[in-house]
Amino acid sequence: MKRNSSNSHKKAHKAHKGEALLLLCLLFLVCLFVIPARAQSTDVVQAFEQVAALIRDDRLAEADKELTKVLRLQPDLPVALNLMGSVRAKQGRLAEAESLFLRAVQNDKNFTGARMNLVYLYLLKRAPDKAIAQLNEVLALEPANLEAKVLMGDAYLAKNDLQKAEENYLAALDNKLDNAGALFGLAQISRVKGEQREVAIYLNRVGTLIADSTAPDFLYKFALEAMQVGLFDAAKSALERAVSLKPKEPSYLLALGIAWLRKTDLFEAEKLFRRVLVLEPTNAQAQLHLGYVLLNQKKYAEARTWLEKSSRTSAPIPEVFYYLGLVAQEQNNDAGAIVLFEKAVRQLPSYAHARIALGSSYMKLKNYVRARQELETAVKLDPNEPTAHYNLALLYARIKEPERAKEELRIIDQLKAKGASNNGVVVLPPKSNP
Amino acid sequence: MASSCCLLNQIRNQSVFIRATNCLWLLTLLLVYAPQKPKPTFEEVSPATSKITWKHDNAQSPDRQLPETVGAGCAFLDYDNDGWMDIYFVNSGPSDFFTPTAPLKNALYRNNHDGTFTDVTDKAGVAGGKFGMGVAAADYDGDGNIDLYITNYGSNILYRNNSNGTFTDVTDKAGVTAPGWSTCATWFDYDNDAKLDLFVSSFVFYDKSQNPLCTDPTLKQRYYCVPRLFKPQPSRLFHNNGDGTFQDVSRESGIAGSPGKSFGAVATDVNNDGLMDLFVANDTMPNFLFLNKGGGKFEEIGLAAGVAYGEAGRPRSGMGVDAADFDGDGWQDLFVANIDQEFFSLYHNDKELIFTDQPGEIAPATQLLSGWGLKFFDYDNDGDPDLFLVNGHPDDMIETRVPRVRHREPLLLFENTGRNFKDVSASSGPVFTKMFSGRGMALGDFDNDGDADVLTSNNGEPPLLLRNQGGNRNNWIGLQLIATKSNPAAVGATITWQAGMLKRSRLKTGGGSYLSSHDPREILGVGIATKIDYVEIRWPSGKIDKLTNPPLNSYVKVVEGSGIKK
Repeated sequence: MKRNSSNSHKKAHKAHKGEALLLLCLLFLVCLFVIPARAQSTDVVQAFEQVAALIRDDRLAEADKELTKVLRLQPDLPVALNLMGSVRAKQGRLAEAESLFLRAVQNDKNFTGARMNLVYLYLLKRAPDKAIAQLNEVLALEPANLEAKVLMGDAYLAKNDLQKAEENYLAALDNKLDNAGALFGLAQISRVKGEQREVAIYLNRVGTLIADSTAPDFLYKFALEAMQVGLFDAAKSALERAVSLKPKEPSYLLALGIAWLRKTDLFEAEKLFRRVLVLEPTNAQAQLHLGYVLLNQKKYAEARTWLEKSSRTSAPIPEVFYYLGLVAQEQNNDAGAIVLFEKAVRQLPSYAHARIALGSSYMKLKNYVRARQELETAVKLDPNEPTAHYNLALLYARIKEPERAKEELRIIDQLKAKGASNNGVVVLPPKSNP
Repeated sequence: MASSCCLLNQIRNQSVFIRATNCLWLLTLLLVYAPQKPKPTFEEVSPATSKITWKHDNAQSPDRQLPETVGAGCAFLDYDNDGWMDIYFVNSGPSDFFTPTAPLKNALYRNNHDGTFTDVTDKAGVAGGKFGMGVAAADYDGDGNIDLYITNYGSNILYRNNSNGTFTDVTDKAGVTAPGWSTCATWFDYDNDAKLDLFVSSFVFYDKSQNPLCTDPTLKQRYYCVPRLFKPQPSRLFHNNGDGTFQDVSRESGIAGSPGKSFGAVATDVNNDGLMDLFVANDTMPNFLFLNKGGGKFEEIGLAAGVAYGEAGRPRSGMGVDAADFDGDGWQDLFVANIDQEFFSLYHNDKELIFTDQPGEIAPATQLLSGWGLKFFDYDNDGDPDLFLVNGHPDDMIETRVPRVRHREPLLLFENTGRNFKDVSASSGPVFTKMFSGRGMALGDFDNDGDADVLTSNNGEPPLLLRNQGGNRNNWIGLQLIATKSNPAAVGATITWQAGMLKRSRLKTGGGSYLSSHDPREILGVGIATKIDYVEIRWPSGKIDKLTNPPLNSYVKVVEGSGIKK
């Protein structure tokens, strides 16, 4: 229970972080877009453009200094307030950012840029109603604003009002299939409805549209969604593009590694997890995934090192015990392996693979009674897992029950015929998402 | 008085302790600073040097007929009994899917004793003339001359050595034609009647009409189909009647009860009962471990033994095999080379007919490779079996479809570390940086310098002769076993030797590797020991010959029942 709450907290934190990145990117776009329209003179325009450039280059202290100077002279200048809000948002000081954007809007009711910043902020803060209110103002001023329509869809999606979300996405599309944000929103709606085929169709279209995208965070967001529906090639392409735009972003590299893993290319995955660990040596997810990759490459000693590191960095999930058990098993330490598999099974009693491994170790130690118990449980938990049937076949052959052994082999053949073969993969990758 | 005595004893004991400690310290220093002998390397012997100009023709066609990519084998044998290893190569030839534009021949090269060889194929009459696969050399009729059994796609050939440099095709008379697609052949004595019987691996049921269309739509080109698409065939066991004929006992022995897609085979004794068992690699099917139950019966126990499947219960693509007691625990371990992504298997014998796959460092080194010829042997004469692997992907277009997997692949050499193996390829000569379409591999000391050299046969390429440079820096003794009561190849003999602290034992196995046949002599390494205390040969007949203080660094002939032949 504790682990679950901790995990959900982490997930929330990650989602928060990811959305913050997205928000910041969009804030810049808004700032850049708005400055020329608001500036009173060429000098002022140039000054604000320089400030926007500073923000874009993460030179926040310098931007802050310049804006402070301006706001000291003109405390209610909407453009300056909006830019200062962007600085605060980028610094993670969201309450201050909101206050600055609101002041900008109060001083200029028609300042749609500041309103859009507020929308992103509210979506990030999971306040869709406030976002909708701002979007209504924006759309009243700019009825053709497609971005606002997409965000309106996002806001209704956040409220779980699928119908209104869909209406807004469709309005943004206007019968054209060229708005990636709207299509992405429709994909999410289809996912919520459980329409996997539609999700894939929308995401495939999005994948085509964003091939040359310069918005790494949207590429990342898309890739995560695509991976969930098995579009690993599309996810990989998007992530490769994201990584080319931001080569040192660990979350992109980790996700790309996982995409390669899902494509069963352990070598590419290994390279990426190692890159993450150069950037973030204590990234538990990268440690776990690297350990997993090395385990599958039968590089046991190094696999153990990374898996143990991962278990020290964060509370170990059942997979870590299972993988470490496999390492021990391969190193002929079945007694040690059993202890680890037992831990995995205690954490997750339905963990069929851990039970198979447990049965295998008991078999090696010639404790056929316990082996049989674990393997038969594993088969009940996952009747379509060939490895479980194979180990049972092995066990029955060893305890001189050849007919039962043959029956298990027959089941494996049937599973293969049904396409349920594991393709030789014994160890499933960690379930955790980037 | 008593106390001073105790004191003296104490002092004496202390000084002994100090002396001992100093000795240990000195020994440690010596161990650390003693100059290490450089490790042996393998040096390519060029065709210009060896005069071996023969090249394998794989008959590759746009139809990509499967037999094209499987062959072929090679052998070290002393066909003229001059004490020097000659060489035999197997080539493709006419078949239902292939008509050569120019005649293709197998080749016999006579060793000229000076590092060169002379092609004597035509004179010897062993050109083959069929679509050749493998070769197994042995004195099947016990007349003291090495005969040749050639496996083919089509039907096989038994060449009887006439002891005058020529051979006669006696296949039909002997009754060992074995029509179909044969791959590896293994001579061994399964019933301990002192005659060499013959196991012949059968691959899939195939003829040119059985070649399904396997294509890559983007390349619009055919590639070699996976053997999974073809039907398995039972392998054959021939009992040697002792009169120049054989009886096909495949059915009654139980061998035919397990149809397979068999490649490599090795005869060994996995349960130390004195009866030779058979371990057979299958491609895309479970491997077979035929346990010799006595009375001419075999039982297939691969599943229960844990050597049939990969760890997920998925059959692998087994190709080359061998057996040896790599960790010196007295039990025969097994090795199988598989195709890329499947990892090669080193099956440790846990006794009670149970094996555990413990490939150690071999697994990551072979993840992307496909292995064929392979052999356990002591390349550095330190007394323990090392491992040589010959690799190459069967699909010449694999690089267009699978990342990082290559058609031509490197050789690998693993040194025995006592409990496992260490990859020493990188430090064993430039040849290990080259790529080959490797298939067969034979072992033999062609220059008689006391270390085992390597011969590989490559698909559609010239062969490779590798001279072991420096294996004989360690001391050794070479044995040529001459049986009188046991089978002529002495397969099943156990050789034990001791030199100071070093005590080793070796079972003389039959076959092993892939499509190939080896120097029948045994080189026993003794490391830096300058004296061999004894060599004991326990013959399959049960006779024991013990050689005390045998000569170092030379070959000796040991006659069953009478020891070293002067």
